[in-house]
Amino acid sequence: MEWSGTWSLLRSVVCVAGLLAAGCGPVRVAGPAVSQEAVAALRELLGAGVEPAAETAVVASSGSGWASLKGRFVFGGDPTQPAALIVDKDTAVCSKDGMKLYDQSLRIDASTKGLADVVVFVRKASRVKDPVPAEQLVFDQKNCEFLSPVFVARVGQPVDVRNSDPIGHNTNISGTSFNQLIPSGGGAVYTPDRETGMPVSVTCNIHPWMKAYAVFRKDGYVAVSSADGSFQLEDLPAGEPIEFQVWHARSTGPNGGLGLDQPSLKWTSKGRFVITLEQDEVKDLGTLEVPASALGI
Amino acid sequence: MSTSSKSSRRPCLIAAILAGLIATGCSPTPPAAFRLNMVEAISPTAEKDSIAAEQALTTEQQRQVATILAAMFGTPDEPVCLPEAGLDGSKLQLAAGPVRSDIVGRKNGLYREHCVHCHGITGDGLGPTAAFLNPYPRDYRPGVFKFKSTERADKPTHGDLVHVLHNGIAGTSMPSFALLSPTQVDALVEYVKYLSIRGETELALMRYYFELDDEDEGKLPETREFLVDEILQPIADKWASAADAVIDVPEPPADLDLAASVAKGKELFYGDRANCVKCHGVTGLGDGQANDYDDWSKNIVKIEAKLASLAGNELEPAEHRWIADFHDVLDGDALQPRTIPPRNLRKGIYRGGRRPLDLYYRIHAGINGAPMPAAAGTVSPEEIWHIVNYVRSLPYDFDGELGVDRSMAVQSNVAGALAAQETSDQ
Repeated sequence: MEWSGTWSLLRSVVCVAGLLAAGCGPVRVAGPAVSQEAVAALRELLGAGVEPAAETAVVASSGSGWASLKGRFVFGGDPTQPAALIVDKDTAVCSKDGMKLYDQSLRIDASTKGLADVVVFVRKASRVKDPVPAEQLVFDQKNCEFLSPVFVARVGQPVDVRNSDPIGHNTNISGTSFNQLIPSGGGAVYTPDRETGMPVSVTCNIHPWMKAYAVFRKDGYVAVSSADGSFQLEDLPAGEPIEFQVWHARSTGPNGGLGLDQPSLKWTSKGRFVITLEQDEVKDLGTLEVPASALGI
Repeated sequence: MSTSSKSSRRPCLIAAILAGLIATGCSPTPPAAFRLNMVEAISPTAEKDSIAAEQALTTEQQRQVATILAAMFGTPDEPVCLPEAGLDGSKLQLAAGPVRSDIVGRKNGLYREHCVHCHGITGDGLGPTAAFLNPYPRDYRPGVFKFKSTERADKPTHGDLVHVLHNGIAGTSMPSFALLSPTQVDALVEYVKYLSIRGETELALMRYYFELDDEDEGKLPETREFLVDEILQPIADKWASAADAVIDVPEPPADLDLAASVAKGKELFYGDRANCVKCHGVTGLGDGQANDYDDWSKNIVKIEAKLASLAGNELEPAEHRWIADFHDVLDGDALQPRTIPPRNLRKGIYRGGRRPLDLYYRIHAGINGAPMPAAAGTVSPEEIWHIVNYVRSLPYDFDGELGVDRSMAVQSNVAGALAAQETSDQ
């Protein structure tokens, strides 16, 4: 009798312990604890606004004149064939006469090994030579493909998003809330109203394989490397340090930043480097080799 | 006899005490706390397909974000807001904190009474019931709302959120709160805005680490200029200006012939300009392009794809740790992504409201956060009214004779439209 009592006690304990061990589901990762003093101090600062107005990070213009920067990106590995995309919608148009669509995110020129679609832009410019052009840019799509793998516009510059296909598309620019139906042969005008930090993706929800990138900057100091990998930025402010950001869609670096081993430029792993250009100088960075590993290959 | 009954009762008693101890725990319950957005902390970028180990926030950076947020927004029990946030503190008091009553007839802690079990204490849509619901409860932190009267990119107005609380969301687990007083609904809406602005501020702070220059040494500047003017103000401005962004809806033409309008709407539905057919399907059953995700799930899908693509690579120990951390975060702080099927238009259930006006807003601006694109500019306001009329006719669409299978009738009805579309394609 005593024994059966102990047994049922044991059973109850095992049962409760089992419940405890199993828990109630996946455990959420806890964030770090916060010091109450630090919170109080910061709240006082925000509430009272007693902090003397710190210099806001406006880049002061210190030089004069204009200069250019150019270079060429080449792929360090063996050029690979782009992957064919799975086209399973509107095949009458999108794979007409056995046409195939290929992944545009990695375009390497087979003969020169030039790496296309590397974006080089200025992080903060102190001055800009030309005002924002009023003329419309065209961002087109044909054969179920965006015609500009990387599209560049200045903030405030109207972009005519067109559709040259016999079928309807929609164009969805992430981070901007632009997602508009674009009828066959028609278009919609979008005027970017703020800068994109890094390039943002452009997709079509009707045809999920369609993908491009867009860069909107106030100063317009954006270069996209061409099919042979070369790029050129013109009318940059001379005589003062300028910080550049380099990006590629397939880069394994943070936020797509393309870090290269270029000690002379102090090229960082975030894909940034600083250069001061002389007036009227055309600085040539020469051939910049992008190792396959930097693109996750 | 007596000993036997005693000895069999004792284990029950001990088990009950043990269970009681477990239920209450060994220490007092900690105060309610906001959770850090861990998915974002480990991949702070808007473009989730370009995530990398070195951009994950360090513990020190996570602590800085939590400290700034606590200073700017307080805790779930004691919310604070800066005047720049544009929120009404007295309304927040009514909604925040534990459920309690200080004056007879007045109840505080409304959010925790009515909302928290689904939307979570942080408004992250990760309350304890969330995983069991389909669709998942809204995560307020990105500040994106679907059912509103404003242009796609804009915030909902106060009235839009009141409308959602008052009517609930048909076809989802979101109930109506029409039994609450207008003051209470008002307070809850204010609290939802508070959680949104807090969440958006958190996102902006976490993403800003990448923008820092090297001399900042990975620390955000803790100045009023940066935290309020640069981060909070633009977010609060969007909320404050929502009322200016309400879609201008022209009256439908007075001499509108309904049958003719439905016919025109049908042509537009299957036509190349409005192109509704591509997603909502030739039958209108929502069976067209149906393997897409909404923006909330899409981020998780992209992260999972990226992590899967890294699996075969040679990785550094730091990257291994990051991937392991990431899987822990995804297990606990994210819900299993689900595809977002286009609405089945033959059911007559409209999440954003069934008034013709509601359907007009949906077609005009699309649905923010979802794949549904905006049609305004592509089709005229009058044409949007035609589509509204056609869509409203779909649940009652019946061309056949009595006794004929309804689905067959729908098919034959659609066959004609399909044939018309094929000729237009050629």
